[in-house]
Amino acid sequence: MKSGSNLEKVLASGNPAVTAELGPPMSASPEEVVHKAKLLKGFCDAANITDCQTAVVRISSIAAAKIALDQGLEPVMQMTCRDRNRIAMQADILGAAALGLKNCLCIAGDHQSFSAAGRLKGHPGAKNVYDVDSIQLAGILKKMRDEGLQEGGDPLEVAPQLFIGSAWTPGGDPIDYRPYRLKKKVDAGSDFIQTQGIYDVEMFRRQMKKAVELGVTERTAILGGIIVPRSAMMLKYMNNSVAGVSVPREMIERMAKAKEAAGDDKKKARELQEAEGLKITVELIKQVLDIPGVKGVHIQAIEWESAIEGIVKDAGLYPRPQV
Amino acid sequence: MSEAKVKEKKEVAGTPEKTHFPPCRDACPVKTDIQNYVWLIGEGRNEDAFDIIRSVNPIASVCSLICHHPCEQQCRRCDVDKPVSIRHLKRFAIEQATEYRRSKRKAVPKTRGKSIGIIGSGPSGLTAANDLADLGYDVTIYEKGPDLGGMLSSAIPTYRLSREALREDIDDVLSKGVESVTNCNIGEDITMKELREKHDAVLVAVGLAESRSLPIPGVDGPGVLLAIPFLFNAAYGKPTGIGKRVLVIGGGNVAVDVARTALRLGAENVEMVCLESEEEMPAWDWEVEEADEEGIKVHHRWGPKGVSRDGDTVKGLDVVKVTSVFDESGRFNPKFDENQKQLIEADTIIITIGQMSNYDFLKGSSVERDERGLLKWDRATQMSSESGVFVSGEVVTGPGSAIAAAASGHRSARAIHLFLEGKDVAAGLQDEEIARIEKLPPDVACKVKSVPRNETELLDPKTRCREFIQIEIGYDEMTALKEARRCRSCGGGALVDQDKCMACLTCLRICPYDAPVVTNASYISPDRCQACGLCAPECPARAIRMFGYDVDSIRNEMSAYIGKVDPSRKEPVVAAFMCSKYALDKSVSLPSNIRPIQVHCASRIDTLDVLKAFEAGADGVAVVMCDSEGCRHPGVSRIVARRLRHIQGLVQPLGIANEAVGHLKATEGQDWTEGLGGIAAGIPVRGK
Amino acid sequence: MIVGSQKPLDEIWGMVKDSKNVLVFGCNTCVAICHAGGEKEAESIASLLRTKAGQEGVDMKVESMGIQRHCEPEYFEPVMDRVRGYDMVLSTACGVGVNFLAERIGKVQVCPGINTSFYGAVESPGVFKELCAGCGDCILHMTGGICPVARCSKTLMNGPCGGTDNGKCEIGKEVDCAWYLIVERMKTLGTLDQLAEVRPPRDWSPGTAGGPRRLTIEHLMDMEESEE
Repeated sequence: MKSGSNLEKVLASGNPAVTAELGPPMSASPEEVVHKAKLLKGFCDAANITDCQTAVVRISSIAAAKIALDQGLEPVMQMTCRDRNRIAMQADILGAAALGLKNCLCIAGDHQSFSAAGRLKGHPGAKNVYDVDSIQLAGILKKMRDEGLQEGGDPLEVAPQLFIGSAWTPGGDPIDYRPYRLKKKVDAGSDFIQTQGIYDVEMFRRQMKKAVELGVTERTAILGGIIVPRSAMMLKYMNNSVAGVSVPREMIERMAKAKEAAGDDKKKARELQEAEGLKITVELIKQVLDIPGVKGVHIQAIEWESAIEGIVKDAGLYPRPQV
Repeated sequence: MSEAKVKEKKEVAGTPEKTHFPPCRDACPVKTDIQNYVWLIGEGRNEDAFDIIRSVNPIASVCSLICHHPCEQQCRRCDVDKPVSIRHLKRFAIEQATEYRRSKRKAVPKTRGKSIGIIGSGPSGLTAANDLADLGYDVTIYEKGPDLGGMLSSAIPTYRLSREALREDIDDVLSKGVESVTNCNIGEDITMKELREKHDAVLVAVGLAESRSLPIPGVDGPGVLLAIPFLFNAAYGKPTGIGKRVLVIGGGNVAVDVARTALRLGAENVEMVCLESEEEMPAWDWEVEEADEEGIKVHHRWGPKGVSRDGDTVKGLDVVKVTSVFDESGRFNPKFDENQKQLIEADTIIITIGQMSNYDFLKGSSVERDERGLLKWDRATQMSSESGVFVSGEVVTGPGSAIAAAASGHRSARAIHLFLEGKDVAAGLQDEEIARIEKLPPDVACKVKSVPRNETELLDPKTRCREFIQIEIGYDEMTALKEARRCRSCGGGALVDQDKCMACLTCLRICPYDAPVVTNASYISPDRCQACGLCAPECPARAIRMFGYDVDSIRNEMSAYIGKVDPSRKEPVVAAFMCSKYALDKSVSLPSNIRPIQVHCASRIDTLDVLKAFEAGADGVAVVMCDSEGCRHPGVSRIVARRLRHIQGLVQPLGIANEAVGHLKATEGQDWTEGLGGIAAGIPVRGK
Repeated sequence: MIVGSQKPLDEIWGMVKDSKNVLVFGCNTCVAICHAGGEKEAESIASLLRTKAGQEGVDMKVESMGIQRHCEPEYFEPVMDRVRGYDMVLSTACGVGVNFLAERIGKVQVCPGINTSFYGAVESPGVFKELCAGCGDCILHMTGGICPVARCSKTLMNGPCGGTDNGKCEIGKEVDCAWYLIVERMKTLGTLDQLAEVRPPRDWSPGTAGGPRRLTIEHLMDMEESEE
């Protein structure tokens, strides 16, 4: 055991793992984190606590992860490369480990100009850091954990025991390079991988085949990312505007039909689309888990944490294994 | 503190000295800056054009009528269509500037305390007199004939060169304070020795004023005339002795003059006979054509054998067939076929086979002749075999054109001046080598729009050949402007200051003719540059000037262009930049709020020119330019429109609306004043 | 070359409006090539300022001049006496020139007429793009000649991130994804396998993070004997 985290144990047991996501609020009050942790507890093996996602200030991942941990939900803390240099990162990792956090996802982070796709003011004028990239960060974590050394070479009195994760966008371009980059992440030290949302299962299947050929799937646990769609508009938006995510036309049409069935009733339209979305989610989970090399799913119900319970149950993944 | 090691770049203002002569200028014996004066004519500046012409050519009016225009033969438009009609333009400008030239006549103070005597008042003598007078010398011209001008007044018929035109040239020279003595025969009325005593130097510029005769049987006696005396008598209204059927022997220009003069004196039939074929005939093509129009027949390839007489009366000329005129080495060596002969009937024969000089006047001097039968001279010093006696013109060069004689006159004046200053004449007379612009490269020629040459009219051949009036009708103003614009301004284009240029490639990218060559700085090839003017306003280092005009002139004079701006005005003051095509349109009168600024082409409009217009108080700027169909240069209307859009952005923070920087691309035949009015109407008065 | 662009006229006016005697001082090297601050632009700005002063009823004299470069002291020497005669110098040189002038001008204010942005090249006439960040430790041999420091928005050393969209960067469609370009080029060169190795965290100290830089070339120093 590298970290002894619940996620690590579930994966080691051979069971498909389920991770969910918890987005902290723009607030100094822990209330919402507590509330969301309660919604997710028991329905996932660990939950990602996002770190200023889309470059928007929210409770920091480490703080929210601790709050969640205190509620009995195992967190996967996230660390972007955008906001901290290697000194702050290593300090935060030591602090996270000291607080009892065991899983850490290393990601580059959206550029500060993003500001929630322009819907919020954000801080586009901030000076970004990107001292190290996500792959280098995984390497730093590995060096700290396995060698007890800081990146610069100084020793650590006690090494942090962390389960190291990285993200993967199997559908990003150049698409033929993506499996090779995945391998780099694993070479650097990633114990588990969570992918960007998958709607085009065939594409994912093809990329996973390459990953298997590269020997990656034996060295790391790949969890297929599932973003729960709530509406046809959301699917269209992701297809058009989110890099690396492509939604098959049939799926969008399916959602559109659900909307049409409600006619002018806006409330009904929302309900029908959400119901369809949940159906789609469950189908995707089953298809993705079926692909060789896939060791679990990472379900993202954005600002809809309450849906996780139903999804996990309908997908036949409840109860979660007690390891 | 030590002296600055890097020199500050000298600000260069105005138009730079030309570094290359285009073929037209190079072909001109006096190196007239043709590009310059044709440009000025195209800008409606005839007086300035006159100044350019006259600055090198004291026989300007004469040349404007009779010069054989070697410049036109070399005009680079020949590779596109027909050459620019340079002589006609010259005539136009000179005639337009008549009042101006007369007003400029002024005596030149004689400051040198030395005097020169010039024998002969033809082109070379007049020119030398002009130059020496300008230098402050006391000059006296001695002319054998009754009038000044030499051959110009007695041997060139007035249907080609009017007396009035010649008079203007002569008056220009005399008004400087040059003395003259006519009806003066050197050797009789005054001797060479006396001239040498009276003057500090003497110039022999007598030309070749006598006709050669033919040593053939029958040549002596009535009915056989020599060319020069015949022309002289014709010029002075004296009896010439011609009959009804005149036959002129000779194929040169003088022979044609003689024939056409005979016609005008009333001969019923005038014919010419010459050794040469039509192609070989030495007379200028256009002269032969005009003679042909007038009904003069030419017998080609016949050689005179003898004058056939019946008693004293001339019956005609016996001639034999010429088989060849020139031998393999191109030398004059006619061969005949004695078996082919005929009699060409005539009652008068005029011999026009060449000219020579009478040297009786040289009695008592040590001026010698050489083996050519001309005066012996040292070409390097323009001096004869007698020290202090200089020579110029045909008497040393052999037969030549009037303008070549003028060039010789310039040179001898310089030589005399050096001599009188005690300087080394040969060294001082060395001509500088000027680089020459070569033929138009084919990839540039194909971008030059073909525009038909504007021809002048001649009087009706049937009536003109009976009178001694000038047959050539000159250009009217609009035609002259149109013709002047055909000139491609070779040699008047862009010059890059190599010190300022930092090879940013802007000029290379914008040039429609690929003229810039860039290594560590840009060099604009004079062979390719067409003086469109696009590059100078674009250069970010202000490194480009134009040989043809001062790029700063418009912005430096902007306040004068804008004039008074009435603070209580209701109409906007609009600075209207207009191509000369529109600016010189006399049929148009613009309202007073539109202040016209004439440009040779919209291409030269610089951002700073427009900004200065606003600085000077204009409410707006309008540009009237030719559309791409009508413009002389490719790409101008598009690039200038783009430049104006950039300027709109620059002035916007000053609260100046886009409408205040307007332009219109005028189409041929369209009423552009309407468009201009529309632009002006949309310009708000600033501050209101 | 160094690429910059003119500041908005209003901003420039704000800097000079209280001065009586202004010089707009152009530079004829880099900033002239990108048509931001050469002699021609300096003249234009001077003209616009004069017009603006007239509009605002401000009594102000504005003149312009240019020298070859503002980054070598010899080019300043012949003109410094004249330059010091103004009470405000608006330098349209790049930031280097503004600094350099301010260091030697004495009691005269210097302000910048342009915003200096990047080291770039001409992609096509009128289009300049950033290609180098002056990081002090060039690794272009490892990325097919395409710079991840200057051209990747996240300065990734092991890119691309998940934000690549049709070869463009997540920050905007007009920005190429540098790592997309790197992968494609190294594919062409047949050197893609060189990217398999994980690049360790980079030493940024040769760049601006390490503090202002200085270069000394021994054999070029003390070239002239001092006359003092």
